[in-house]
Amino acid sequence: MTGKLLIILGQFSFLLLVAPLINGIIKKSKALLQCRRGPSLLQPYFDIIKFLRRESVVSVHTSWLTQLTPIICLASYLVAGSMIPLWQHENLGIGDMIALTYLFAMARFFLALAALEPASAFGGMGSSREMMISSLVEPVMVVGLFSLAATAGTTDINGIMGAGQNPAGLLTFIGLLIVVLAETGRIPVDNPDTHLELTMVHEGMLLEYAGRQVGLLHLAAMIKQVVLLILLIHLFWPQNPNAPVYVALVLIFAKVSFLGLVLAMIESALAKMRLFKLPELMAGGMAFCLLAVLSTYLI
Amino acid sequence: MCNQPFWKVFSEHPDCDLIKITTNGAVRNIKLGVPVSKFSEAVDMLKKQGAFLVTMTATDKRQQFGIFTVYTVFALPGENTIIELKVVLDAEQPSYPSITPLIPAAHWLEREMKDMFGIIPVGHPDLRRLAVHGDWPEDIYPLRKDFAANTVVPRVTGKLEFCSVEGEGLFQVPVGPIHAGIIEPGHFRFFTFGEDVIDLQAQLFYTHRGIEKAAEGKHYADAALVAERICGVCSASHSVAYAQAIETLAGVAVPKRALYIRTILLEMERLYNHIGDIGNMCAGIGFSFGISRGAMLKERLMRMNMRLTGHRYLRGMVIPGGIQKDVANTSEISSELKEVEQELKKITSIMLASQSLVDRMRTTGILPKEVALALGAVGPAARASGVKRDLRTELPYGAYADFAFKIPTQIEGDVLSRLNQRIEESEQTFAILQQAFLHLSEGALAVELPNLPPYRTAVGYTESARGANVHWVMSGPDNRIFRYMVRSASHCNWPVLPLCVPGNIVPDFPLINKSFELCYACLDR
Repeated sequence: MTGKLLIILGQFSFLLLVAPLINGIIKKSKALLQCRRGPSLLQPYFDIIKFLRRESVVSVHTSWLTQLTPIICLASYLVAGSMIPLWQHENLGIGDMIALTYLFAMARFFLALAALEPASAFGGMGSSREMMISSLVEPVMVVGLFSLAATAGTTDINGIMGAGQNPAGLLTFIGLLIVVLAETGRIPVDNPDTHLELTMVHEGMLLEYAGRQVGLLHLAAMIKQVVLLILLIHLFWPQNPNAPVYVALVLIFAKVSFLGLVLAMIESALAKMRLFKLPELMAGGMAFCLLAVLSTYLI
Repeated sequence: MCNQPFWKVFSEHPDCDLIKITTNGAVRNIKLGVPVSKFSEAVDMLKKQGAFLVTMTATDKRQQFGIFTVYTVFALPGENTIIELKVVLDAEQPSYPSITPLIPAAHWLEREMKDMFGIIPVGHPDLRRLAVHGDWPEDIYPLRKDFAANTVVPRVTGKLEFCSVEGEGLFQVPVGPIHAGIIEPGHFRFFTFGEDVIDLQAQLFYTHRGIEKAAEGKHYADAALVAERICGVCSASHSVAYAQAIETLAGVAVPKRALYIRTILLEMERLYNHIGDIGNMCAGIGFSFGISRGAMLKERLMRMNMRLTGHRYLRGMVIPGGIQKDVANTSEISSELKEVEQELKKITSIMLASQSLVDRMRTTGILPKEVALALGAVGPAARASGVKRDLRTELPYGAYADFAFKIPTQIEGDVLSRLNQRIEESEQTFAILQQAFLHLSEGALAVELPNLPPYRTAVGYTESARGANVHWVMSGPDNRIFRYMVRSASHCNWPVLPLCVPGNIVPDFPLINKSFELCYACLDR
């Protein structure tokens, strides 16, 4: 029992420590691709520390929901992250793929509600867009994960490791990469760097937050990003099960950074899509995932 | 009788009085006094002859002559003619029949006149406040002469007035006046059904600086400094427009070298604005290639401005009578411009080859040609909708008659057309600049101005990167400015922008807004 607890704590601290750095790497590579010098790799840490040290200002019209949401978001992404084994250890047995999907959904549910609560114009727009996008993204994610579960014969996260290493898995990978772009609020779905309130999705929901709470929410978003990238690696590019712990951690960090670079390149090459064209993008992702399911049974 | 030239019909009328016909270069100026009762008829006739509204303003001459006067300036395209109608109003109850029903382009001008002078345009369809907001007391008119510029005006309670749009499922989304980015203030009220915009209304004039009032009573040379500072990125076009108005008043011709240098300044300004805007439009859709390359090229041009004139925004060059300071490094700049031209070609061809960019811009924010014509849209925005109107050829000023260039136009009037319009206009600007550098002759930089005749009016105008900037000046005694009215391109196009938005969705507004790239400072003068 204590062993499991220690493993979970270890995973938590790895995620908390690495997530801002990955964000820094993505930001820096985007800047370099745009001929800019860009912020320091450590800037996300400074930002988070700055936010966490500030007092939070909360609208008088809000309730416990607004107070609790940042913690719920952070907690659910951390728990989701701790379900994916980062190094070889016994299955923790705290949940499978379905639990992971629903942890993401829970965080989103609370965030969308909290954005509605202060009744500001942009929060409502952010919530409604987020819900629209999530209703498109979640089916793709679930079908993609199920296609891998069909190959592996289990929804258990440990059992499904490396299930994407076959031709059908390539199709799933494309589908899930689109999911990751949408879930992390990146171009072509959302623009994380914009200051244009009217175009915001994820950032729009955070506009009423300030200080400590906005720091927690930014941290939560970075952790979500790392968890999704780790999940992709776990499914399609698994670690050597016999590697020692430190090698496994360094490897996973390198792989996540590489995927971050891919995201930066996609973001630099594309413009943000029209909001109402997103169903087409997601339909594309869905088609890849469905083809993967079909080919699992046919081939 | 419509076939006869307009001014002849009216100058023969017993109630009218032909004040003056002068020629200024190739352009003929006609000034005509019209009684209030005949004003609508005169405007209607001008409209039927194809004239378009240039500017409209009022003066308070109660202390001198016991009257208010309304001046309306039209241009007759194809005839190189500017017509100024002067209407004298009663000092106690100043009102006149509104011309907005005939010429919708006068809409904001008449509302502003009502706010600033208390002159009532009778029959105007929308007499809500425009330039002063709800917290401004009734019966205080800041541009009247009995209002001292340093008056502290008490705030009263009032609120923003919008034309209500109601229905089931309709929401109002208030945006601004303070925005998330570092931009100027403006309040936009969206009436939305889901993401669809049903109506958009804008409340502007948040940072009105009273520049016109500040210029009153100043010596014309000092007021030139004011004109130059109306807007950061339109310094050259505003200062040249003002200088031209003063030179028309003084009746002097500017030396050729000064005219060519002014052309270089105006075109350099157009170039850095257009290229900056091309990059900025990409910011509306998060297309990072365009954003960063546009910004880099704009910065390069501003550094060239610095080497050319000693000022990145081209200030401190233009004075009434000519040019204050010679340009430097001309041969170097002209060869570097060729590199910039190639660079721009490369960047724009990559941009336009991007499917994701073209997809966002095509059919977004369409400005129909009829709307552009009716509301008097100007500049690249109007030309992108197929309105071939450019003051450089329509009413040639400065040295533009000496240069060979084309006025490109587009058809669709969407965001993509406005992007293409800026790209094509930049190509023409490179051509003008090369000609100007090549034929830049030696000679005097400026002429001495004689004393200005008092209480005369003159209009100066330039085609800036955003469209026509029109400066109307009335001289006072002792070479001072009696009344100064600036109608900038943004003043013409701000009322047009909200009409392009309904039918689009909320997240497309920033892109549409950037494709017009209107200036708040030019409006809040």
